[in-house]
Amino acid sequence: MISRATFDAVHRRLVALRRGALSEVEDTNRLIYHVLRGGILVSVGLIVLGFVASLAGAGPLPETPVPFRGLAAELRSLTPAGLLSLGVLVLVMTPIARVLASLLSFAKDRVRLYVLVTGIVLANLLVSLLLGAR
Amino acid sequence: MTPVDLALVVVASFLAGLAGSYLGIGGGIFLVPFLTLGIRVDLPVAVATSLVGVIATSSGAASVYVRDRLANLRVGMFLEIATTLGAIAGATLAVFVEPRVLFLVFAAVLLYSAAYMARTRETARERAYRPVRDSRLAARLDLASIYYDHEDQGVYRYRVARPGAGLAAGSVAGGLSGLLGVGGGFVLVPAMNAVMGVPMKPAVATSNLMLGVTAAASAFIYYSRGLVNPTLASMVIVGVFSGTYLGTRLLLKAKPRRIRFAFSIALAAIGVLMGLRGLDVAVVP
Repeated sequence: MISRATFDAVHRRLVALRRGALSEVEDTNRLIYHVLRGGILVSVGLIVLGFVASLAGAGPLPETPVPFRGLAAELRSLTPAGLLSLGVLVLVMTPIARVLASLLSFAKDRVRLYVLVTGIVLANLLVSLLLGAR
Repeated sequence: MTPVDLALVVVASFLAGLAGSYLGIGGGIFLVPFLTLGIRVDLPVAVATSLVGVIATSSGAASVYVRDRLANLRVGMFLEIATTLGAIAGATLAVFVEPRVLFLVFAAVLLYSAAYMARTRETARERAYRPVRDSRLAARLDLASIYYDHEDQGVYRYRVARPGAGLAAGSVAGGLSGLLGVGGGFVLVPAMNAVMGVPMKPAVATSNLMLGVTAAASAFIYYSRGLVNPTLASMVIVGVFSGTYLGTRLLLKAKPRRIRFAFSIALAAIGVLMGLRGLDVAVVP
């Protein structure tokens, strides 16, 4: 008879070994995780600051986004409109930053095929931005 | 907007983030009707806000799925070629296509894949690796991967078949999001799972990763046209992130069978709604 404790220890060891097998998936994942996590944290941080600024009487909550040109001025005076707009923009930029991060890590690992694939995706994104900005 | 409205937005976004991250869909399909019918936001603003919600779902869910190595980065990147191209084509062709026909075709596809997803199970044995030869393209792309399933604590190695068919399905998904403004997740998950043979959990995770990219391009355009309401969007972001926090944890622990079942119910419901829209029965705007 194996004791319950021994069984648990063996089981835990097996689980750890199986997890270890996953490390053969390259560590592009870490970089991308940090990019996505960073985007989320910065965006939520700015949004919270925006609401705090509004409660502190720095201005009303915005109905329309601050245009790109006016953003710097709004941010210098820490208005809720500026902070919330930047928070939303950071979130919108996160997936594009993720694609750029993938490009860098594929380039670092010299996976030429995927540098090409990611390059095509970025080019497509650029085209759709240009088409939409017309 | 009253404070009650804003509180409702947070709750609705929480649910959208929960469902979106668990099913691999953006959640925009729930947010747009809620915003237009529930709190009377104009349609363009509702679409812009829901695009922000889709990106929040994508980032929130993908960060967890990438950390836990559930998302297949290569499959995602490869299919994004097709979704981004499809989105450009869809947005360009939108003027020439009769949306009613499109809704009916889409409804038929959704109902068929709902039935397929409900019928096929995904037991551990079925997920196990089969030593078959990869096609030339699949071998060259090196799409096969491995994932750890928290539910049965197994490590599953899987191949990815038919990359060409996957590209075709991806461009349809992108085209639909360009044409109709609905996320491609409803096409991407069944395409990855049924056509390319990616198990359900990695398929959902990879779909979540991909959706943000397509939505980001459109959201940027909506922002520069002044259609994003920052206060509303902020509420959506906060709600969605809390939803994905729960949704991703539920997915990691769920049995694939449960996810498939929930997915086919959602597919069937949306298929019926799309069909009604195609037949001019107005249920949602």
